Amino acid sequence: MAADYVSPFDERVRAAEPLAPRPASVQGQHAVLLDIRKNRGAEFLDRVETLLRAAGVSTARVTKEIFSKPAALSLIDEIASGGGLVVEALAD
Amino acid sequence: MADGTGALGDRLAPELGVRGAGPAHVTVGGLTAAGCALLVFVSEHCPTSALALRRLGPLCQAWARAGLTAVAIFEDPLDVAIRTARRLGWGGQVAADDPPYPASRAYRVATVPTAVLIGRGGVLVGTVAGWDQPALAALLGAAGEMLGAGLAVPPAAEPLRKPGCSAKAAIDPELAAAMSGPGGGDELEEMFERGWTDGLPVIPPTAERVEAMLGGRDGGASLGLVPPAMGEATLERVAACAVLAGCRPAYFPVVAAAARAVLDPAFNLHGQAVTTQPAGQLVVVNGPVREAIGLNSGMGALGPGFRANLTIGRALRLLVTLTGGAMPGAMDRATLGHMGKLGFCVAEDEEVSPWEPLHVDRGFAAGQSVVTVIGSDAPLSISDHRSRTPEDLAYILAWAAASTWSTHWWPLAEPSVFVICPEHAQMFRDAGWTKQRLRQFMFDAVRKPARQLLRGETTPVVHAAAPDTQVPKWASPEAIVLLVAGGEAGRYSAVLGPCTGMGSQIVSREVT
Repeated sequence: MAADYVSPFDERVRAAEPLAPRPASVQGQHAVLLDIRKNRGAEFLDRVETLLRAAGVSTARVTKEIFSKPAALSLIDEIASGGGLVVEALAD
Repeated sequence: MADGTGALGDRLAPELGVRGAGPAHVTVGGLTAAGCALLVFVSEHCPTSALALRRLGPLCQAWARAGLTAVAIFEDPLDVAIRTARRLGWGGQVAADDPPYPASRAYRVATVPTAVLIGRGGVLVGTVAGWDQPALAALLGAAGEMLGAGLAVPPAAEPLRKPGCSAKAAIDPELAAAMSGPGGGDELEEMFERGWTDGLPVIPPTAERVEAMLGGRDGGASLGLVPPAMGEATLERVAACAVLAGCRPAYFPVVAAAARAVLDPAFNLHGQAVTTQPAGQLVVVNGPVREAIGLNSGMGALGPGFRANLTIGRALRLLVTLTGGAMPGAMDRATLGHMGKLGFCVAEDEEVSPWEPLHVDRGFAAGQSVVTVIGSDAPLSISDHRSRTPEDLAYILAWAAASTWSTHWWPLAEPSVFVICPEHAQMFRDAGWTKQRLRQFMFDAVRKPARQLLRGETTPVVHAAAPDTQVPKWASPEAIVLLVAGGEAGRYSAVLGPCTGMGSQIVSREVT
């Protein structure tokens, strides 16, 4: 039956990426805070950053070009190599 | 027990005659090679099956590491199974039990979902029919004992129990075959079952129809990846979408050009496809191809009645929705959407227009056939039967757009599209107004002091401006796009607000 039709879907099966292991504690970790440029996302990250630092976490801030486009691969690489934790501020 | 739970003693599991999505042939031996197997018989239409897949899916990878291989066996075509499993977050293997459902019959499945645990040596250990969290936890406990490992169980969340649905395998085999067999069922209904639709009936994309649509072109050629799911837009899949939409083969070059245009990163289809905004993809066609394929640019130019307009726009949207995975309610997150998202294709009436057509504005020769795509909101009609000067008319047209996107969101950087009707266009022709003059007049006309715009949703420009600074509705005259189309009688033009905040640019491609 399936051979009679041409599917409009890309039927390739993609393996789900497993979640990275979660640390038992944030103490001593490094966190990258990603601002996707949604309205007031930076304010949210300011507060999160304050709380993380109080909990002994070092932080770095990165920003997407625009919220509506996928992050550049170079930015993803920067995040992946920059720390063990990531916090992303999504929508307003 | 929801629908019944059973321990099966030392019966051996029947062999499985099901097709899988890697491995292609799913066998009991293969599933139990690492220890135990959990078969979950499901159906795409069954809400309880969906509940089971959602709750069990996230546990599959951990089970696999402990030696329990889980497979969801659908009473649906394999492509439907793969898509449904992906949508519901199922992390195990996926297989399809084709009509007349031999695997379901062999396992005596009367209800979906039914979970079947197979132990070492292919021994049937137990079954759970319907959704029954305590019984499933007990079944997984038994699997854990056999494997010598603690297995994660689904959370004890409401509903703890939910009856399943009747399995297709429980229907008389001849009836089931008649309902589902090739040529024996209703092809149009089958398209809905497969999910190959935008909600309206479609033309089944048989290999013959797709081949005719391709017209000798290389179906394997790729136009790129369609966001958000990044499905590959091979020409064959674009042609399948054109068949589904009801296109004639003569329309295909326009569909393909529109596909190439929306896949240009500058258009930012990714953002448009998933946004909560209503934005659709407006397709504007210019040049000789309009007449060659019967595109309407006259009476009812933005409405129904013309196959070429409706099916070309629909084919593009099906590409975004199906190949690109932007299914409304799933990855398409539009709060309301608009009917133009079914398909939105307009041809410019270049012969009636007093101005150079859009594609010439964009650097093409008048004799070229060109598709231009613009992220657009729904049309807002602008009635003006009383203006007697071009200034009055231009003022009315421009101010009609003041509330597009939002009454206080000024200025708009992205393009607003004005479709000027022939009678309105005639007034500008008679007065000798160029397109540039009209655009500049409209840009200058719509301004407000910043203090009047400081309410609710407004822009950083307004917040930063001094209270009496005049803020324009558009960031520049170039954000005003002018087309001419419509019936010769009646003074109704229209404005289509922009897709905002995404950096989406207008993109044009020649029809080849």
